[in-house]
Amino acid sequence: MNIVPVAIIVLVMVAFSQLSKRNILRLNVVAWMVIWWLAIYFALSYGINPPLPASIIGMFMFIVSLALAAYLTTSTDDMEAAKSAFVNFIINPRYALPLILVMIGLPVVSAYNVYSDMTQPPQPPLSTRTIHPPPPPSITFKGKTIDLIEDENPYRALKTDNPAEFAKHVENGRRVYFQNCVYCHGDNMAGRGIFAHGFDPIPANFRDPTTIAMLQETYLFWRIAKGGPGLPAEATPWLSAMPAWEKFLSEEEIWDVIIFMYEFTNQEPRAKEELH
Amino acid sequence: MKNALTIFIFTILTTLFYWYVGQQVPQKVTYPPKKLELRDDLTTDEMIEIGAEIVNGKGTCQSCHGLPGGRFPSLDNVGAIAASRIEGMSEVEYLAESLYDPNKFIVDGYLPGMPQAHKAPISLNDKEILCVIAYLQNQGGSPTVSMQTSHSFTGTAPEDAGGGQVAAAPASNLDGPAIVETYLCLTCHKVDGPGDMVGPSLYDVGNRMDKAALYESLLDPDATLTEGYAGGVMKATLDGVGFYDKVSSKEMKTLVDYLASMKGGN
Amino acid sequence: MKKKLPFYLIATVVVVLMLIALNHLWTNWDAARELSNALAEKDAAGAPMDDGGTLEYREFPVIGSRVLVWMIAELHLMFAAFVLAVPMFAVIIEFIGYYTGDKRYDDLAYEFTKLLSTSFSFTATLGAMLTFALIILYPRLMGYLVNIFSWTFLPYVLLFFAEAGFLYSYYYGWGKFSPKVHLALGIGLNIVGTGIMFIANAWLTFMNSPAGVTETGALISTWDAINNFTWMPINIHRLIANVAFGGSIAAAYGAFKFLGAKTDEERAHYDWMGYIGNFIAIIAFLPLPFAGYWLGKEIYAYSQTLGIVMMGGTFSWLFIIQAVLIGNLFLGANYYLWVSMERIEGAERYRKAIKWLLASITICFIVWATPHSLVASIEEARKMGGAHHPILGVLGVMSAKNTAVNVLILTTYLSFLLYRRGNKEATHPRASLLKNIQFGIFSVVTIFVIVLGVAGYFVDATTRIGFSVPQVLSVLFAMISIAAIDVFLFRNAKSKGEIKWGQIKARAQYALFFLAITFTWLMGLMGYVRAGLRQHYHVYGIMEDTSAHAFTPTLGFAAGVVSVTVLIFFALIAIVFWLSSLSTKKKWEPKDASDDVYGLAEEARS
Repeated sequence: MNIVPVAIIVLVMVAFSQLSKRNILRLNVVAWMVIWWLAIYFALSYGINPPLPASIIGMFMFIVSLALAAYLTTSTDDMEAAKSAFVNFIINPRYALPLILVMIGLPVVSAYNVYSDMTQPPQPPLSTRTIHPPPPPSITFKGKTIDLIEDENPYRALKTDNPAEFAKHVENGRRVYFQNCVYCHGDNMAGRGIFAHGFDPIPANFRDPTTIAMLQETYLFWRIAKGGPGLPAEATPWLSAMPAWEKFLSEEEIWDVIIFMYEFTNQEPRAKEELH
Repeated sequence: MKNALTIFIFTILTTLFYWYVGQQVPQKVTYPPKKLELRDDLTTDEMIEIGAEIVNGKGTCQSCHGLPGGRFPSLDNVGAIAASRIEGMSEVEYLAESLYDPNKFIVDGYLPGMPQAHKAPISLNDKEILCVIAYLQNQGGSPTVSMQTSHSFTGTAPEDAGGGQVAAAPASNLDGPAIVETYLCLTCHKVDGPGDMVGPSLYDVGNRMDKAALYESLLDPDATLTEGYAGGVMKATLDGVGFYDKVSSKEMKTLVDYLASMKGGN
Repeated sequence: MKKKLPFYLIATVVVVLMLIALNHLWTNWDAARELSNALAEKDAAGAPMDDGGTLEYREFPVIGSRVLVWMIAELHLMFAAFVLAVPMFAVIIEFIGYYTGDKRYDDLAYEFTKLLSTSFSFTATLGAMLTFALIILYPRLMGYLVNIFSWTFLPYVLLFFAEAGFLYSYYYGWGKFSPKVHLALGIGLNIVGTGIMFIANAWLTFMNSPAGVTETGALISTWDAINNFTWMPINIHRLIANVAFGGSIAAAYGAFKFLGAKTDEERAHYDWMGYIGNFIAIIAFLPLPFAGYWLGKEIYAYSQTLGIVMMGGTFSWLFIIQAVLIGNLFLGANYYLWVSMERIEGAERYRKAIKWLLASITICFIVWATPHSLVASIEEARKMGGAHHPILGVLGVMSAKNTAVNVLILTTYLSFLLYRRGNKEATHPRASLLKNIQFGIFSVVTIFVIVLGVAGYFVDATTRIGFSVPQVLSVLFAMISIAAIDVFLFRNAKSKGEIKWGQIKARAQYALFFLAITFTWLMGLMGYVRAGLRQHYHVYGIMEDTSAHAFTPTLGFAAGVVSVTVLIFFALIAIVFWLSSLSTKKKWEPKDASDDVYGLAEEARS
């Protein structure tokens, strides 16, 4: 949130509404629509930090435009007012100059748009990336097949059955994490390790409730074992820099570090859904 | 009538609007994964094409066979001469033998050293080898194999060893000589004595290079070349056998330690 | 009798053709079984069949087999949905007419039913076309499916006959039987129609989530294949969605007739018809997100891969398009109510509320349409630190979406409540207390829904998914309890004026068209995602699509196909509307020679 621009926008809006309440400024409904549209546009463009991508602002403003159009036409009075204001603007000689300006201005704006589009230096295409691409049904891990749909973390059950044994796995997971993962995913698992700034995409933040808490443990196993090189095509254009840990870690170590990740961030894996 | 027209236009406009929304989201075509398994009804042309892909790609054949005056015989004319290599052995049988059991017959003037094509790390399956044979027959001759052809080695290769997923032995327990063998270093380098092949002998490499240089020459073979040797060969071969995909840092250490200890004659 | 003949003829011809087609497959029974066994012996990679020259695919020229089957299936589905939905609410409206003795309802039910007979013929014709297209273009797939579903085709065909019997006796028997018998016919029609849909759903859900077969596709149990994971969720989802869709088409019919009406009486009638149709559509639409949610959950349960393909992978952007459509539906439904409040005397009181309702809808629309990972240029992505925006990313997940849709439903409900109260003033002695209770329920539920939504970010996934249930239940509770209080509150209410039926503005009628088109487009889109989920499989995980059309096209291409399908559908629906308006047309009479021969005067008047 950028306080200053938001505050300015709110102040301007309050000023407008006070002025029109006291009849100092007479604004018809169309003018209000324009003011609201601009206020929302500026709030979205400058009020949020880090700035929103242009594509998303475009989408939001599109929805806002729809809503404003709906509002304008809900009341017949407002609609007629808007219509007559529009007609008046065109036929009333008083507005001849602004009308000419608009007539010249509209083509100029669109010409400028075309010009700036054509003269832009070449840019990489806008890209989207699938954060959680679908896993394959099974993977081969050191010659053994891991079924990503049916298999479970073999040590998960120990949490209730044998807490002491479970603690050992957590400890082993801690060791694995701080020997291997911490450099990128960070010491509090927020994805801000010492190497993190060099990557695009940045390392996953396990504290974010929309990452590991949404996934089953086998998904994590797949991601850890196969790393960036094992990502399917949907995850392009940039593949993650995560190594394929199957070359360095044993199966047990991977399950342990998964357990540790959930324990450390105090989250629960997505349970395997009970089939009806 | 006017109403019907307005409704008609309204319907088209609304539909166009949703069509437009559909164009605004990221557009991506998803293709089905490429088939690893080879169909049984491939045409000869398709077999040749696939064979060429294997020979130039995961078969790593060109690392040794592709160099003029190289260590192994050129394949340029193999389709024309394969039938006459061993008396009484058909073209297909000969080519099959030289792929499944390459060191049984050695062309005059050459040294043994080619790995078995159906075993790790190349791990071609029977069908892939048939395609390779088709490709080889096409070099100066005309292919006679089909996907149904059987020869005395049919069935030797594991059913689904292919697909590039090399079932490397539990690599971390290998010792130095085993690693050297696993990754086909011996194809180009001698270890048991001086004498150069495609690459310089490793017999006394420990005298010439320190550990850092060994790491470099393994990880980036073309960075520093020994004088008189072609660049690119070792990189291509190691890529082909999947060295960079599979080797662990522990293995690297074992390998470098082993190589550094090769001081000639010890 | 003459007038009815064509419909009988078409329906009979179509059923006979379908029987011939099925017979053709059944006589090849052994071949089909062999095919299935051969498939079973194939290894999991699913290489194409080598069964001695049996064709796997044929190609349809120009648009290709896939697009052809896609469009016919979608059209068949749209008409089928309409034909199944109209009897449901026709019977209910007829019952209301019978119960209250209000003739208007009976007439309305009959008017809805009039749309049925042509639609039924279209449904059957399109169904036959679909069957032929599939048998001709996808022989291998059809051979396999026929083997799996062997005996289910018989009840399907028999039910189709029964459907024709019930439908025509219900339609032509209007006013010819005692009301109870006639209502029973209508109920029979509904039961049979639902049965037909359930059977057809079994075939297609099997392709998405096969069950009852071995890993290689050999049949173990036909019943398990029918009762697969997504069968019931799809049944329920389609049942509700059909009503919403049918209601919106019926409302569009009302709008169509309204705009062409010549007398005030007609205008009043069709204004009311459009209102009722829209009311049905919206009531059915409100629970639809939850049914869809259950379906999605079931798909996820069947296979995590399928679930992620749907929500996180290839199709995630499809759900952004869906959000635009659903946001438009809510916006359009509310808009209709707001505009129609102008024809209610006394409703001016509530005008001020509109901007707040609109604000709520806009915000929820935005929340729902916010994608999880954004399209950004490299520079923008660097500033955000990835494709996730730290603030906006929060809106991209299920908790936010569920909350948004619940608030949307509550807002729409509120709009409707205000609409209903427009011309009424409560005279109940405890009116203010009751109103406060209503207000209390409403605010508590709204806050509860939002709190649960926010809490969803701080709990694990299973609990979060569980939260959707109390959210839905609380919303349902609010709607029912407030409606119940309303009944007491406005018993013997003082009227502040009347509803001037027929004085509705034309743009409200266009809103009805907009809703109907949006519903239809949405249906096309969701049909695509259900079928597209299978990606390069005919039967997911079991029978691979090895044709040239195995790839998943871009969403833009899919949007194009859906758009064309929707336009064809409306062209056909226009025929249905026109045909059903023929019955009220005056008898043709030879014109006087001196009269205006070309009917120009008639033209000028309209």
